[in-house]
Amino acid sequence: MRTALLLACALTAVAASAEESVYRELDYPIDNYLPKVEGDMALSGTYPLWKDRTKLDWRMAGNPEENWRLNWKFMDPPFNGAVHGGHFALDRGEDLYKALNRDGRFAACLGAGKGKLRGLRTRYPSYNKELKRVVGLEEMIERCAARQDQVLQNGSYDNSAVSLYMASHSQGLPIRIDVSKGPMKEAFERGRILYHTKAGRLNFACSSCHTHNVGQLVRGTHITTPYGDAAHFPVYRTKYMLQSLQLRIAECNLDSGVQPLRPGSAAYTDIEVFLTALTNGYPVSVPSERD
Amino acid sequence: MHGSTLVGLFLLALAIPGLASNPPPDAAVDPSAEIKTLAPKVVVKSGRLEWEAHKRDLTPWVTLSHEDRRPTPKPRRVDLNGQLNGDAERGRTIAMSTLKGGCVNCHTLPGEDWPGSVGHLLMSYRKRGNSDAHVYQQIFDPRVFNPNTVMPAFGTFGLLNDQEIRDLVAYLQSLN
Ligand code: HEC
Ligand code: HEC
Repeated sequence: MRTALLLACALTAVAASAEESVYRELDYPIDNYLPKVEGDMALSGTYPLWKDRTKLDWRMAGNPEENWRLNWKFMDPPFNGAVHGGHFALDRGEDLYKALNRDGRFAACLGAGKGKLRGLRTRYPSYNKELKRVVGLEEMIERCAARQDQVLQNGSYDNSAVSLYMASHSQGLPIRIDVSKGPMKEAFERGRILYHTKAGRLNFACSSCHTHNVGQLVRGTHITTPYGDAAHFPVYRTKYMLQSLQLRIAECNLDSGVQPLRPGSAAYTDIEVFLTALTNGYPVSVPSERD
Repeated sequence: MHGSTLVGLFLLALAIPGLASNPPPDAAVDPSAEIKTLAPKVVVKSGRLEWEAHKRDLTPWVTLSHEDRRPTPKPRRVDLNGQLNGDAERGRTIAMSTLKGGCVNCHTLPGEDWPGSVGHLLMSYRKRGNSDAHVYQQIFDPRVFNPNTVMPAFGTFGLLNDQEIRDLVAYLQSLN
């Protein structure tokens, strides 16, 4: 049974120097998560069905009542062998990357040890010593490109294309971010709370749909588990062309009546850390396509 | 929070126009536009993220930003005053329209092919035997009955006005 509780976040009010609390509601329960993809066993229990992407049950994909249990993994190539917009984006990302990395500065700025891109994607978001906070890969792409006076805004097609190219070097490698201690743990905890914080005109939290109504229908679409999602971003979509994870969060915000934030905002990065930890152990799969 | 601080904050909000409802600095908004809420628009082969006006202004309600200091409206108990005076036909339109009630996003109602399944079936709602006042409260602010409900508080959050809620009550009570 869900219990009613109020979240009192301590914030300094504009007018008073004393600490004021802002009234927020959380969608309970909030603590049944594991920072690895197997954690889905305690949530939707669908993990065994999509764990191995080469062994998906295609009969389920053909059945609208059942296909949500596959966590939409059947939409990710190589199941759909056809060339799609994600492949063109990958080519674009390679060109942009090579132009930016002529002297190796760009890769070093992104944190690629000895210029090696393999595994880089599996370690983001990560703590940045210079900025003294947790950053997402796309935010770093924007920052590192800016050092060479190139505009690659977080969420833009070209930024996501470079991110996709980075991810392609980790194809098949499991996502592996450590949220057990320090600033990453703090970001994970903030992300977990945000994921359960009700907001917007309808007073929905992410969890209102993605945790507490998995498998239910929202206007004809079945909601899937939040586990295992982070590994296929940025993703090719017909409507959004190329969509980073933070733009997906903005889309869900808009669709559920919440004023969206700009990509790279602290709150979205915290949610990205939370969702990425829920994908720990699941292999990077790009370029992928979703409808 | 002390009453005096509340009054102080309120006066400050009056002194600085818009402070009380200003979205946080990291919100995707165009402050000068009529519809302030922006939706991202990805442009192929561009390093800039474009933004366009969303179909609806979402700035009055709280965001997920750490810098958003506006409180969520608290649960509100209401009384249904006087005769119900609702129009079931208008209520039906409100229930079906995504831009109005959008009840059908979560509930199954007669005559809709793509209903949601998050809320209960409301097919023969009248048989439930709930009073008009109860149904009015459920739509105005269901948190009074279930603090952890996912159903929006259509009255408290200013999504539907008194008459629209009366129309919805009349509509639901007409479903045999
Ligand atoms: C009103 C319901 C609703 C709310 C609230 C909601 N979502 Fe979603 N979300 C959906 C639906 C429906 C889909 C598409 C089906 C799916 O993949 O689950 C989706 C898809 C997604 C995806 C893509 C999954 C994939 O495999 O590609 C992510 C990531 C996501 N949501 C995150 C969030 C986050 C973070 C929040 C909160 C800020 C949120 N959602 C709030 C309904 C919602
Ligand atoms: C986001 C989902 C959602 C939306 C939108 C929604 N509801 Fe609900 N509704 C629920 C849920 C879930 C319940 C079950 C009770 C609870 O959890 O509070 C419910 C319960 C109810 C009940 C009480 C049912 C009973 O057994 O007596 C009524 C009446 C009702 N809703 C009417 C409406 C109307 C009218 C609208 C549109 C103006 C609406 N709902 C929109 C989710 C929703």
